[in-house]
Amino acid sequence: MKKLLLVAAAAVALTTPRIVSAHHGWGGYLDAEFEVSGTVETPVSLAGPHATMTIKGADGHQWLLTLAPPPRTSAAGLKDGMLPAGTKVTAHGHRHRDSNRFEVKTERLTVDGKTYNVYPDRT
Amino acid sequence: MQASSLGHFMRESGVWTYAIVNLAHVLGIATLFGSILVLDLRLIGIGRRVPLAALSSSIVPVATTGFLIAATTGLGLLATKATEYVGNPFLLIKFPAIALGLVNAAVVTRTDAWRAHQERDLSQAEQRRLAIMGGLSLLCWLTAIVSGRMIAYW
Repeated sequence: MKKLLLVAAAAVALTTPRIVSAHHGWGGYLDAEFEVSGTVETPVSLAGPHATMTIKGADGHQWLLTLAPPPRTSAAGLKDGMLPAGTKVTAHGHRHRDSNRFEVKTERLTVDGKTYNVYPDRT
Repeated sequence: MQASSLGHFMRESGVWTYAIVNLAHVLGIATLFGSILVLDLRLIGIGRRVPLAALSSSIVPVATTGFLIAATTGLGLLATKATEYVGNPFLLIKFPAIALGLVNAAVVTRTDAWRAHQERDLSQAEQRRLAIMGGLSLLCWLTAIVSGRMIAYW
């Protein structure tokens, strides 16, 4: 029984970090810093596991901005429904590893000179 | 589904709603799987020193409660942004696995062996049949949990 528990613990320890980093962590995103500017298409939504919004990038693509989880995003000053369509924004963070996906895991959002730092512990 | 009142509730009742419902979903799954695992292993033949009759009478209500919690909270999680899950292949594995798990459970409870196990010892053949269904049950719930977790990583 003790042996079985040890094997189970080892298996969990070996596999967990990899699984966790697949999407909801940062592992699914490129290490390089990334920035995209554009105009808001869908305002801030605080529904679901992460807050989200979409913008029309200056490059013509629709970008999905994945923000922090809702409580943290709200604490950073971004409330549900904020930033009406057409608002000019710049998102700073990390782009999704899949180059066909126009998604940025956003650390900071700059709107008209004001910065919303949803991940203040990250640079 | 997304436009349902459940969907509205999930999106509009505070920033912690999703996290709390998600937590309840995990607890429901833990309750269901943790309890059914013991029963299924017993059906397969592990832990025979505990009489099946004693085990089943305490485990079935716990597992049922766990399932009901997981199912209701799961609907809430899905309704939050249902459209986002369209085309997610893991969802198409998860729901058939749950359906099969439920059908399997329904079949088990309708077998002569299951109906009689509180009153008498089961024959070898009956034990074998229940063992197969216990194994199938484990397979179903494990598949549902694995594919369910993977939905978030697609």
